[in-house]
Amino acid sequence: MPTTLKNEAAVVGIGETEYSKNSGRSELALASEACATAIRDAGLTPADIDGLTTFTMDTSDEIEVARTVGIKDLTFFSRTPHGGGAAIGVMHQAVMAVATGSAKAVVVYRALNGRSGARYSEGVSGGPTTSDLIHWSWYMPSGLMTPASWIAMSTQRYMYENDCRPEDLAEVCMAQRDHALKNPRAFFHGQPLTLEQHQGARSIVEPLRLFDCCQETDGGAACVVVGPEMAKELPHPPAMVRAVAQGAGADQESMTSFYRPTIAELPEMQLIARQCWETSGLGPEDIDAAVIYDAFSPNVLLQLESFGFCGKGEGGRFVREGGLRPGGRLPVNTHGGQLSEAYIHGMNGVNEGVRLIRGTSTSQPEKNDHVLVTAGVGVPSSGMILGQAE
Amino acid sequence: MAISGKEREDFEKKLEAYVGIDIGLEDVGRNPVNEAMVRQWCEAMGDELGAYTDAAAAEQSVHQGLVAPPTMLQAWILGGVAMASGEDDPRDKQKELHRLFDAHGFTGVVATNTEQQYLRYLRPGDEVRAKTSIESISEQKATGLGIGYFINTRTVFRVQDDEEVGSLTFRVLKFEAEERPAATDESAAPMAGKPQRIKPALGHDNEWWWQRVEQGELVIQKCSACGALRHPTRPMCGECQSTDWESVPASGRGTIYSFVVIHYPEVPGYTYPLVVAVVDMEEGTRFVSNVVDIEPEEVEIGMSVQASVELVDDEMKLPVFRRV
Amino acid sequence: MTETRNYTDVQLGDNLPELAIDLTVSLIVAGAVASQDYTPVHHDKKSAQEAGMQDVFMNILTTNGLVSRFVTDWAGIDSRVTNVAIKLGTPNLPGDTMNLSGEVTAKDEESGSVTVAITGKNAWGNHVTGTVDLVLPKGAN
Repeated sequence: MPTTLKNEAAVVGIGETEYSKNSGRSELALASEACATAIRDAGLTPADIDGLTTFTMDTSDEIEVARTVGIKDLTFFSRTPHGGGAAIGVMHQAVMAVATGSAKAVVVYRALNGRSGARYSEGVSGGPTTSDLIHWSWYMPSGLMTPASWIAMSTQRYMYENDCRPEDLAEVCMAQRDHALKNPRAFFHGQPLTLEQHQGARSIVEPLRLFDCCQETDGGAACVVVGPEMAKELPHPPAMVRAVAQGAGADQESMTSFYRPTIAELPEMQLIARQCWETSGLGPEDIDAAVIYDAFSPNVLLQLESFGFCGKGEGGRFVREGGLRPGGRLPVNTHGGQLSEAYIHGMNGVNEGVRLIRGTSTSQPEKNDHVLVTAGVGVPSSGMILGQAE
Repeated sequence: MAISGKEREDFEKKLEAYVGIDIGLEDVGRNPVNEAMVRQWCEAMGDELGAYTDAAAAEQSVHQGLVAPPTMLQAWILGGVAMASGEDDPRDKQKELHRLFDAHGFTGVVATNTEQQYLRYLRPGDEVRAKTSIESISEQKATGLGIGYFINTRTVFRVQDDEEVGSLTFRVLKFEAEERPAATDESAAPMAGKPQRIKPALGHDNEWWWQRVEQGELVIQKCSACGALRHPTRPMCGECQSTDWESVPASGRGTIYSFVVIHYPEVPGYTYPLVVAVVDMEEGTRFVSNVVDIEPEEVEIGMSVQASVELVDDEMKLPVFRRV
Repeated sequence: MTETRNYTDVQLGDNLPELAIDLTVSLIVAGAVASQDYTPVHHDKKSAQEAGMQDVFMNILTTNGLVSRFVTDWAGIDSRVTNVAIKLGTPNLPGDTMNLSGEVTAKDEESGSVTVAITGKNAWGNHVTGTVDLVLPKGAN
């Protein structure tokens, strides 16, 4: 049995549906198409798949996806909670399943009608009384009930404590838009963003403006995870998982960890970073590009600090110097991210991480030995490092 | 589910045939513009502008005599009591188009926009006629009400001598009303009564705290064993694992640790822009609630505030903060 | 009645005095009748309820009439309204109040025209948002 998860699994296939504002289809149809495409891309057939894993928030049950796609016997299936924080959590599940022999080939998927169906931007409200609803009840009466409002609360404090200006949030959006220009899957394909457009857009929850918020999307994304031996036999160069980790920090709430000594840091991401560096034996200087979870633009700044790409409070300066752009110190969200490509709850970011390793991103940096992919912000989160086959 | 594939293609092809056509009927005002209908309109609207009803004042004004309120334009050609029967004129192409939408599941209809242009104000004696055409039909859109199509119609108003006096662009959404589960409680019925804020869901571990708020008190949970304070309320002390607890009154004094100003989305029952803050209480815990009686741009991190438990709508009490 | 307002009196960003309209059944029915709009949902509660509303609700012409009144109350008798463009939102139902607010958002020197952005808000949200264009006398002759 392995003692760590380093190089115990690889991503060998990726697939996604069209990303749109109105799919006109069920979420099961989207999930099934993404899974079938990923399996085909891996050079496998549905009969080769014996594991499925997704988010607790996904409406398409593993067994329904299996029947629809034509996957036969399942020896592994599981769910990971906390919205976008699950996107690498599900990878963690898949890698553990493959590394322990619980499954040979696991498909990871997420599909949602996030624009034409239930929109997260509309916020939480009443419903059956669960521990989750009891939690939101501390905030609903005062009207603090949307993801933008929760993230704006930590952003305000972050900007107060550190040298971070509204232009720095704009730069995150503009840098990612720059990457998205060449990506035909991106909602903002071919449409540059200027500082004036960013600053002139309406305020959603101060200090966040319209373009600081991600693109609510209809669509699905999936990938296939197998062991390193099987990966050698398949058509694409494998994206080896050097490390994968989840983290929930001390005094964590889902999106509203307002009771920690500081809310201008991400203890859960620091925990994930520590595990990723330990397992992989790598450090920030070894990472050539990153997919950093970006439901909102300030998320990127805080994570740059959590992973040590810059010092605490220096995220603003890092991006101001053009660090995220094509050719910058760390090209980030080369697909445009969730701000400019699509919001598939982080799963589209996993696929971009694989493309970066394959060398097939539409904004491909020359050096691509190692890529960091993160998921979730303000919630129990997750992250992984992908690398080339050795 | 909305139609798709071939069925949708065929449907959209049928729609195209309606774009640009006249709806086939001319509406002719049953009375010329007259002072009696103008007065009735002004009384309903509470509009006391002299140009409409005070001949002497109107004479002295830029209008040089009595005029009709511009927004009354369409009133001169509407059908009156006959409209109550709800019967369609079979020659009406617009109604025919709506029936085509109905037949494909897009039964909902809601007016979303109107734009009126006035070339001149109407005067008593003007004889108004109007012709309407279907200007455009949008591509399929996902809207808050459901999947649907926007239909733009344009009505041109003329008077005697064929003089054009104004126009009206009207935009309606024909949509596929989403199937909603049958209403089992009041909250599921939209538009019933005045909207109130969302109330907390109550369970074993938080109900007592909200009950104290209802009684006008702001309290903090305290471990009976080690004395540690904790908020939000929980069933066990994270410091010493004791499940015995009591509560102590909070002074309500604190400073703003962080805050937001919410503009979007506007949820019924709340007033926007809405300020919500995380407040460092002097006891060492934090509370999250509204800051009131202050312009949003004046709120600052570090500002001293005082909590007060009060009604925030017709039904619910909440501790809210004010600058001190 | 207000004095008439001249083009030169008006500055970008000027706010109009707010106007609160009590939404009564009488107003809703009187507005529908005065506009010759006898569509049953605007005067017959049963029809309105069959259409999914709790009571009769205001017709669009009345909304337009109130918006026009709100702006000309401020602008005065020598103004001429040339365009009213509105977006409709939550319905106006009896028992509620609609608060009208407005702000001058554009001025055109040549035509003497100003644009007022208006919002009519009730307890459920925005009933109406939009713009009214009107020509004001040049003034200061």
